This record gives sequence, C-alpha cells and structure tokens, in this order.
Amino acid sequence: MKKNMTRFAAVVGLAVVPALALAGCSGGDDGNGGGGSGDDNKLTVWAWDPAFNIYSLEEAEKIYQKDHPDFELEIIETPWEDLQAKLTTIAQAQQTDELPDFFLMQNNAFQKNLLNYPDLFTDYSGSDVDFSQFPESVTAYSTLDGVNYGVPFDNGTAVTALRTDVIEEAGLTLDDFTDITWSEWIENAKTVLDKTGKPLLSGIAGEADIPVMLLQSAGESLFDEEGNPTIADSDALRDVIEVYQQLVDEGILTEVNSWDEYIGTLVNENVAGTINGIWIIGSIQGAADQSGKWGITNLPKLDDVPGATNYSANGGSSWALSSSGNAELAADFLNSTFAGSTEFYDTILPKAGAVANWIPAADSDVYAEPSEFFGGQPVFQQVVEYGKQVPSNNTGAYYYEGRDAVSTAITNVMGGEDIDAALDEAQKSVEFAMG
Amino acid sequence: MTSATSSTRKRGRFSWRRVPGYAFLSLFALFSIFPLFFMVVSATNTTKDVLASRLLPGTHLVENFRSLFGAQDVGAAMLSSALIAVGTTVLALAVCSVAGYGFEVYHSRGKDIVMAIIMLAMMIPFAAVMIPLFRLFADVGMVNSLFAVIIPAISTPLLILLFRQASRSFPHEIIEAARIDGLRELSIFIRIYAPTMKSTFAAAAVITFMTSWNNFLWPRVILLDNAVQTMPMLIANLTAGYVTDYGVLMLAVLLTSLPTIIVFLVLQRAFAQGITGAIK
Amino acid sequence: MATEAIVTGGKRRLRGSPRNPYQGRKRPWLHTQRRWNLTGWTFLIPAAALITLMSFVPMIQALFLSFQTGRGSRLTWADPFWLNFERMMGDEIFKLTVFNTFFYLIIQVPIMLVLAMILANLLNDPKLKFKAFWRTVIFLPCAVSLVSYSLVFRTLFATDGFVNDTFMALGLMDQPVNWLGGGWTARLVIIIGLLWRWTGYNMIFFLAALQNVDYSTLEAARVDGASSLKTFWFVTVPQLRPMIVLTAIMSINGTLQLFDESWSLTNGGPAYQSMSMSHYLYELSFLKNPNVGYGAAISYVILIMVAVLAFIQMKVGDKRD
Repeated sequence: MKKNMTRFAAVVGLAVVPALALAGCSGGDDGNGGGGSGDDNKLTVWAWDPAFNIYSLEEAEKIYQKDHPDFELEIIETPWEDLQAKLTTIAQAQQTDELPDFFLMQNNAFQKNLLNYPDLFTDYSGSDVDFSQFPESVTAYSTLDGVNYGVPFDNGTAVTALRTDVIEEAGLTLDDFTDITWSEWIENAKTVLDKTGKPLLSGIAGEADIPVMLLQSAGESLFDEEGNPTIADSDALRDVIEVYQQLVDEGILTEVNSWDEYIGTLVNENVAGTINGIWIIGSIQGAADQSGKWGITNLPKLDDVPGATNYSANGGSSWALSSSGNAELAADFLNSTFAGSTEFYDTILPKAGAVANWIPAADSDVYAEPSEFFGGQPVFQQVVEYGKQVPSNNTGAYYYEGRDAVSTAITNVMGGEDIDAALDEAQKSVEFAMG
Repeated sequence: MTSATSSTRKRGRFSWRRVPGYAFLSLFALFSIFPLFFMVVSATNTTKDVLASRLLPGTHLVENFRSLFGAQDVGAAMLSSALIAVGTTVLALAVCSVAGYGFEVYHSRGKDIVMAIIMLAMMIPFAAVMIPLFRLFADVGMVNSLFAVIIPAISTPLLILLFRQASRSFPHEIIEAARIDGLRELSIFIRIYAPTMKSTFAAAAVITFMTSWNNFLWPRVILLDNAVQTMPMLIANLTAGYVTDYGVLMLAVLLTSLPTIIVFLVLQRAFAQGITGAIK
Repeated sequence: MATEAIVTGGKRRLRGSPRNPYQGRKRPWLHTQRRWNLTGWTFLIPAAALITLMSFVPMIQALFLSFQTGRGSRLTWADPFWLNFERMMGDEIFKLTVFNTFFYLIIQVPIMLVLAMILANLLNDPKLKFKAFWRTVIFLPCAVSLVSYSLVFRTLFATDGFVNDTFMALGLMDQPVNWLGGGWTARLVIIIGLLWRWTGYNMIFFLAALQNVDYSTLEAARVDGASSLKTFWFVTVPQLRPMIVLTAIMSINGTLQLFDESWSLTNGGPAYQSMSMSHYLYELSFLKNPNVGYGAAISYVILIMVAVLAFIQMKVGDKRD
C-alpha cells in the first residue's frame, strides 16, 4: 500500500506542484490590489476605461510628480460592473481592508452605495477641495447630509448631437434646434424625416435613459427628498412619456435593442442625431468619415412643465475615497489635479476628449479650440457652459429600481397600456422593492 | 478491434441510408459554426463593419492585434487563465474520479445518502455563496491569489456524479480478479480502472477545463489585480469604456476561445474512438 | 456470470467480495469487507471535505441570512422570521422569472438531449467519414466564451440583422421581427442560444458513454434482423441509461440555475420577460439595492425546486443493473 501511495502522490504532485507554485508566485498576497498601500507616497486606485479615465489618471500622476517626485500611482483597471460587485462583496463580508486608496464610481450608483455601505467611504471634509468649483447638480450625486464624498470627474452633461448636413438638406440649421421646446423640435424633426428619410434619434427600447434625462431637464426626479417614489403622481413624467411615445410613433426615434445596435445606428448613418451625455461623442467620432458633419446644441425643453430647462445630464462619475486607504494623500492628489489644475485638463482634453466638470477648466484656450469633427464648434467650452445650468436630481438609494420600473412602464405603454396605469404599476413595484 | 475489421469492409461505397445522417449533421454543423464564422470575420474588421453585420473578412486584423496588445496585457491574462484551468483540471480529475469510483465500487446505502447530499451542493446558485466564500478567503488572506480561484472549483458534484455513472459500466469481475491477485485497492484504481476509463477522464478533462477557462463570476470578485486577471476579465475591460472597438473585442474573444478548442482537439480521440471491445 | 449472481441475489453485499474467506476461523475486526468499506470512504474524503467547506458551510450561513432583513450590511432578524419568503409570494418579478425558467426547462431540455443523443449516435458510427471534423464543429459552440457568442447572437438577431434579412429574402416573412424586443421572441432567442451552446456539451457525455456500450449486443441485434432504429431504441439506449440520467440531472440543474444567457443575450429584457431566477437573484444582491436576506431566501427556493426535480429524476430513471 505504501509503495503505491507514494507513487500515486508522486504522480499527482509532479503535475500539480509546479502549477500551484507558479500560481502562488504570480498571484499571491504579494500583488496587493487591496488594503491600499502602506507606503506614504503610493496610491492605489480602481477605475475603468483605458482611453478615458485611466489615461487621465496617468496624466494626473505626471503632474503631481512635478511637486512630489517620489509619488507613485498604481492603477488597477476594473470594469464598473466588477467594481460594484467587488464593493458589495467587500462590504457585506466586512473586509474593507481590501479596498484601494480611492476608486471611481458612477454618479447614478453613488447614493445607493453611500446609504447602504457607509463603511466603504471617507468623506472629503478634512481636505482642501473646493466643491464650489463644480456644478451643484453633479456634486449632489455624491453628497449626503451636506457632506461631500466624491470629486466629480467626467462630464455627463447632455447634448443634442445632430448631423448638420442632413438637417441642411431639410432646410434647417443648428440654430433652429437650439433653445426650443419639444413641440417645436418634433415639428423640425418631422420636416427632416419627410425631406431626407432619416430619423433624428435612436434609443434602446425599454431603457429609461432618455425619459429620465428629460425628467431631469425639468428639475424633477423619480424620488423626493425623503427618498419616496414620486412616479405615479408626476405630471412631468407623464409629459415625458407622452413625448417619448410621440417620437416613436412618428418615426423620429428608432428603437433598438442593445447598446451595440445603438452605436451602430450612429456609426452606420441610420439616424441623423442623438440626445445623450457628452461622452457619446467618443463613439460618434469612431466614424471618421463623418468628420465635419456633426454639430452640438442643447436639449429642447418640455412644454407645459414649470421649471423646464434646456439642460440635463446622463451619467458621469466621481472619485470616492475609501475608508481603509490613505485618504489624506488621495485627497491631496485629487485636489492638485482633478480639482485644481488647468494644466491637467488642458492635457487630457485633446487626446482623450475628456470633458471636465471643473468649471475653471473651461476658461482655458484649449477648451475654446474649435472641433473639426463638429464643424468648428468649440464644443468643450459649450458643454461646460451647459453644465452650469443643469438642474439637480434626487437619486436616492433606490435609483436603479426606479429606473427599472420606468423602463417597464415605457415598454408597457409602447405595447398599448394606458400611461397612468403603467405609472401606477411602476410606483407599486418600486414601493415593493423598497419594502 | 473495430478499426481493424472496418478496414476489411469496402470503403467508399455509397449508400442512400447514410444520406439523412449526413444531411442532419451538415445542418447542425452549419448552425453551430455560423456564429463562430461571424466572430472570426469580425476580428478582421472595424467597429463600423462589425456593427453592420459584415460577413466578409476585412483588412484590419493586424491593426486590431496591435490595439489589443497595446491596450491590455494579454500574455499575463492568458497565463493566469491557463494556470487556473490546468490546476483546476488536474486536481479535479484526481479528487473526483477517486470519489466517483469510491461511491460506485464500494457501494453501500450510507454512500448513497452521502451522494444525495453532495448532489444538493450542485444545486446551490453561485450568487448565494459568493459573499461567504469571499469572507472565508479574506480571513485566511488569500484574496487576489490564483489558489482562491482553483480551490472552490476542484470538487464538483457534477464530476463525481459523472465518474460514478461511468463506473456503472465497469465490470466488477476484473476488480475481483485483481483482488485475488493480491493488488491493493488504490493500485487497482490506478493500474486498471484509470487506463480503461480513458474516455471518461478525457471528457471530464475537457469539461473542467472549459468551465474553468470561461468562469468569470468568481474570479472577478476575488482577483483584485490586473497582473492576475483572467481572459474573461480582460474582455470585460474592453467593453467597460465609453467607446468599444468591436473588431478588437471580437479578436480578444477569438483568442480566448482558442485554448479550449485546442484542448478539445487534443483529447477528442480519447472519448470518441468508435465502438471498441477494449474492455473485453 | 458471477457478477450477476451477486447482484440479483436477494442480499445486498459488497460487489467483488468472495463468499467467506474466513471459513472456520475467527474474523478479525479489520476484516476484508470492512477494510474495503473503509477504503471506499477514504476515497471520498477529499472531495466531500472540499464540498462541505466550499458549498455547504456558505449555504448554512445563507440559511441564517434568509431569516434576516435589512439593507446592505445592517441586518436584523426578520419579524416574523419567514418574512422574506412571504415577500417572495407577492413579488411579481420573481414569479415572472420562475415562469421563464421553467419555460426554458420544459422546452429546451428535452429537445437538446434528444438532439445530443442522435448526434452522438451518428458520430459513433465507424463508417462515418470526417468524424473528427463533425465532432469539432459541433463542440465548438461550447468552447466559445460567453461574451462573444452573446454579442454575435445579438447582432444576428438585431432588427436589421442577418436572421431577419435571410428570412425576408427567403420569403418566410415580410416584416422584420423585433426578436429581442418582444417577450416571447426574446425567450425564443434564449432557447436557440441554449440549444446552440449546450448540445455539443451533452453530446460529449453521450459519446463517452457510447464507448462503453457492448458491441456484441449490437451485433446480436443486427443478426436478429432489427432495423437500426430499433437497435438504437431497444439496445443502445438502455445501456446509456446512467448517462442519460446524468445529463438530464445536469441539464435540469443547469437550466433552473440559468444565468449566463439571460444576462448576456437579453439582459432579462424586455422588462424582465426573459429573465431567469438566478439572474434576478444576482441583480438583487449586487446590482440593485442589496437585500442579501431576500436574496438568500430566493436561493433556497431555487435550491429546493432543483432538488425536488432531481430527486424525482433519480427515482424514476436511475437503476443500478
């Protein structure tokens, strides 16, 4: 028995031990993604998107190193979904030591994480960051009880992007689409559709992006300040859904079923415009042959809704300080770069198209550079201007549930259900999820 | 052996009875391969073409390669995935084959009950155990290590069940004979059972490798570092940005699929020999 | 044969054990049968220990969780303690996902298993040409990672995608179908995806099992004049029974726990109409407001459903012969 046992063990061991040894070496507790770094001059950060966020972090590191030559920034590329899953797992398992020094977070998810897992965060009250240099609507996402938990980064201000050559064919210009109401906008869009056959918008069916954007443009939200859902009683929301329905029924908005299809409609010229956060221009610019044919303007405002504006936002993200890392150093780093350096924003803008929320950045020449792709418009400056006028919205902890409920409501309305009934159902399902 | 006898039959003789079989196979093969064909073609195209469902290969392959390798550390991710998959497969085969053999050959009512309990484990949705598992590994300091990905995957009720069911057709008189010859239990397993059940081992190896390679829910929670991320995580990185280059994405996906295909090609002879009377 | 005599005899006894080697002498405590029994148990220990640690311990913890409520990490005991389960009864979305999952189970699993068996049988024929080619091609879908095939499928089933274009060109319909936009069609896309991906997987199991089919029985059937269909049904299939039970259990388990396809192909859409139970569970725990107590309760319900079905399957199908 012994002889065969040793032989068996030897065979298994020979195969497995090298593999595990290698595994232990390369992974190991040495590659410390978590727990911040004990080092005083080193920071670890979790963020996604190499072309945009990570690139910006690298440039910020260089700028900070001018005054702090020993500084090092370790960037760990983590897609947002993974990041959220990790945050949830870490918080539930109460292992906050595994957190990095700071991390990026979607604005829409900020309240949810703050309210449910306060143990993950450190606030900025001990730092020098001047939050008045950011638009209030954006800092609102990461503020709880008057305390700031996030430094806003990429800009989610919504714009209307239009194919200027197509609307010209219909005898219209970009000005005809600026500072108008939805009923006027729809008239113009119908003209374009009749004369050129191209719809002006596309969107993912059953997703709440567009409706919620329009709702925000009127300064309204899905929840009130106490966090109660205001879906069923919201006249503004009813208006919004009616507008959406009209857009689809008249053929002005093409509904598609997935993100890739949506991008496809833009890049393959099936539609002549879109309404979304400014970050969409990255995807639009992927169609290099359309350069010079696009223009940017603001959103139409809702008719009949008091408080309606031409401005809104969709998405965007902010930097959060983790509870177990070197919050002081991270806050200082962020203050000197993302919240304090025009040079930084000037560098990242041309290369990555990374538009900031930081208001002073817009005064620079770089921001005033006309964009060739957008027919010579200084789009970045425009967007920061728009950003100042965006109304805040209340997200609250149940924001995703609210958005989902609105998505379902829209799907049902497009399928023929009465708007009021659909909104009632949406309200009920959010209340169910909350309780 | 069959191959010897079949070569004495007349080869290449056309028979109408075979046509439905071939037709069915061709249809199913076409159904199976078309999406893959699309994937391969897309890896050579640009984003625009991919989104327009272009079916012809383009000229962007080299560019896509360059973008992919420039943006992500493909080598490291491949290595990670490979280590995890190989480690899991070897250990899983060792542990589960022994267990399945034990359940079947040393059958008893007690073991039946234990088997039923173990099968319950197979029915636990993974999302439910993710957080307690994370806490377990974090408590022993094994977060971010490849071990943490391998260990939960070693003992699967599925594999144990597979080996148990396959052992049902293993004739026990051979075990009797071996015992009479004086062999110990473990060496019966190693010398007689394992070589005979090659097809089962090969099938188990392919399945385990494939499952481990494509696994993404657990690694993305427990691995915190870019240096040890797996290929599926790398692919998630590619879609996480504001702008996705679909040609590069398809290329990455193609590269990710290759190792499993290779493993299959290598092992397929073992479980698909054609009918043999080898056991006799 | 000696083996049969042992098995069909009335008493249950360890196979392979001779009648009584200790005739006339006193049996030592560690006699042969007991030693074999113990060895058998030793074989099981590594596997069983790992499973206990990795699956059962977390699951017991989840049981406690399912009796707690609260948001995030602030959990308290539920009052009454079955509150989460009661809540489940009123959860419309949960009921929809249960319906969806069972729909997939009832439609897709039988089709897939039958297809896999037919394919395996076809591929097992020694006279078939290009075996390696067919095998590889049919297995390839499993080898492909999830992200890719979901992207490909979504592109193919898009409103202006390949499938619609082809069907219209063939004259089968004159309006493009919005596959992913309608409840039933989205479910259909998932079923097609499942068939595409998992038939090859199950085919491997059947192929492996077919290797162990006794060729002499097939020869005997042919000599007796049975057609190939009859041979298949009456001779091959009974010998495949253990493997059929295995694949059936695996498929039931896999489909009831369906996550990947619901998440990647349709994202549960439109409006939860194609979402599976596990996907909903994941959303509840990680995406929406985390309510882990409720999530744990749902996972128990899923577990019980799967266990009941598997138990029935085993009782009905699994015989030791």
